[in-house]
Amino acid sequence: MFSFAKEQEIFDISGIKIGGQPGLYPTVLVGGLFFKGEPDFDTGKKQLQNMLDISKKTGNPAVPDFFIRKEEYIEDITNFIESIVPKSHPFSIDIIEPSLKVKTLEYLDEKNLLSRAIYNSIHVGIKDEEREALRKHTPEMAIIVAFNPKDKSPDGKIEVLQNGANLTDAGLLDIAKNLGIKKILVDTAAMAPGDNSGASIAAIPVIKEEYGFPTGCAIHNVVEKSKWLDDFKSARNPVDASSNINIPLFGGDFAIFGSIANADIVFPIIAWQDILISEYTETYFGITPDDSHPRRKLF
Amino acid sequence: MNNVKTTVIGSYPVNVETMELMNGYFNQTEVSWDEHIRSAVNDMVNAGIEMISDGQTRDPFVNIFTRKLKGCRIRDRTEIIDKVEYDKPITIADQKYVKSLIPKDRQLIGLITGPYTLTNSSVDLFYNDEKELAFDFAYALKQEAQILQKHVDMISIDEPFFSIEIPDYGKELIEIITKNLTCSTRLHVCGDVSKIIPQILEMPVDVLSHEFKGSPKLFDAFKQYTITKNICLGSVQSDNSRIETVNEIIGHIKKGIKIFGDKISQLAPDCGQRTLPQDVAFEKLKNLVKAGEKIYG
Repeated sequence: MFSFAKEQEIFDISGIKIGGQPGLYPTVLVGGLFFKGEPDFDTGKKQLQNMLDISKKTGNPAVPDFFIRKEEYIEDITNFIESIVPKSHPFSIDIIEPSLKVKTLEYLDEKNLLSRAIYNSIHVGIKDEEREALRKHTPEMAIIVAFNPKDKSPDGKIEVLQNGANLTDAGLLDIAKNLGIKKILVDTAAMAPGDNSGASIAAIPVIKEEYGFPTGCAIHNVVEKSKWLDDFKSARNPVDASSNINIPLFGGDFAIFGSIANADIVFPIIAWQDILISEYTETYFGITPDDSHPRRKLF
Repeated sequence: MNNVKTTVIGSYPVNVETMELMNGYFNQTEVSWDEHIRSAVNDMVNAGIEMISDGQTRDPFVNIFTRKLKGCRIRDRTEIIDKVEYDKPITIADQKYVKSLIPKDRQLIGLITGPYTLTNSSVDLFYNDEKELAFDFAYALKQEAQILQKHVDMISIDEPFFSIEIPDYGKELIEIITKNLTCSTRLHVCGDVSKIIPQILEMPVDVLSHEFKGSPKLFDAFKQYTITKNICLGSVQSDNSRIETVNEIIGHIKKGIKIFGDKISQLAPDCGQRTLPQDVAFEKLKNLVKAGEKIYG
């Protein structure tokens, strides 16, 4: 269990609190929609409602993470966000292609959705046109992926946040701040099995102690890429979901847990972990859990 | 040009498409650095350079070493957080790759950033003793040099900080690295070395390399001394994008010959070319080779 000497940032996005000392706020759970490409809105609507319902039960805030892979999907997906995601609820957009990022930011601005938007993500691949779009259409919050291809250890992740590892003109934190992004989440960049995958977990307390920003990762990516688990097919989903407990256990604030379809299993597992952590951190460090904490749902 | 070789000091421009690196992350696949090494080496080969380096494309010349030595970590700068020790080969795999790329008639130069420069480029959070840190860097680099000598024709030690100050143990540091090496060695010190020429001439290396093009006053300074070492004559600027003409370089080499005579054994840029646009760096190398051929055949 951890308590950090560095003062911890706590950010609010549409009423959801993220960050702080371990045991204070529940782990925020980010579930992905439409990651296969073409969006299935009927299924997405049901899955979203299911995740929000279970979030209410456990107390862990839920953030739907919308994958956008083609330009033709931008309008429909942003319409879906506008009409289906509850008006007071945050969401994130998860886009790889820089030109799609730019266009999506324009759409979100047009629809007045930027104040609820988490931009997923800023990383060393950031382009000039993306910077310009972020300056013009600044989202409320952004995830920075601390991927350093030169050094995948926790130190390497700090390096890329601090100075860009000589791949960008500045450190990723400074790039985000200079673009006007005030609420920064750090994703510790989970790698494939055998490629320093554990460093994404080890880096969580290192980064929180160094910067105090809310930190987490998509540790489920490690499980997803495991070939070894092909020999244990029935274990894949439980291993995938339970791998997320490492995040709050190491002091992390959010888990990008993969498909929203896994919400049923991930939320109770993480709520349970949050309760265990809170029981310890309150006794030992005097961290009283927030009213929204899963521990308040149990007692 | 049998006796005088065209070569480089070290780094070469690199243009990394960072989105390709990110796509490797998103797809969870390893992205190879080979294309960047190949790009630098191909330019050197195509320009006609006879002794080729790996281009030091992976990192700035300090980080290449401190990224892989025990006791170092990289933040804004390198920080020393524990005893500095050799862990595993640093540049060897890249040198082997370069050797596989270059024609048989070309030679290979291995590059080592010197211990005093590594010391002065780092933030020491462990030793609180510059000399002790510099010696530990030297012992670690010696291990790299011992492996490197099997793969290259020459090892060059890059010590730009000597131009600011050579400590009284400076010669010892270099000796730790060069002692008992079987390949020839070079010490490159860029900047104004006019006040430290006696110490430089005492260094236990075969070739001394300096930026004579950017600092032509060095000719006058060296004129005062008996030159006992071979010289790598810096002949095109590395900190200026203007491309020197062949005739201009010829004139410069002739000035060098007046001072150093047959002690000139290498022609090179003044320093690493990393900060130049790649096309400019390439044109400078091409003109350097042409000028060298005109004079030395």
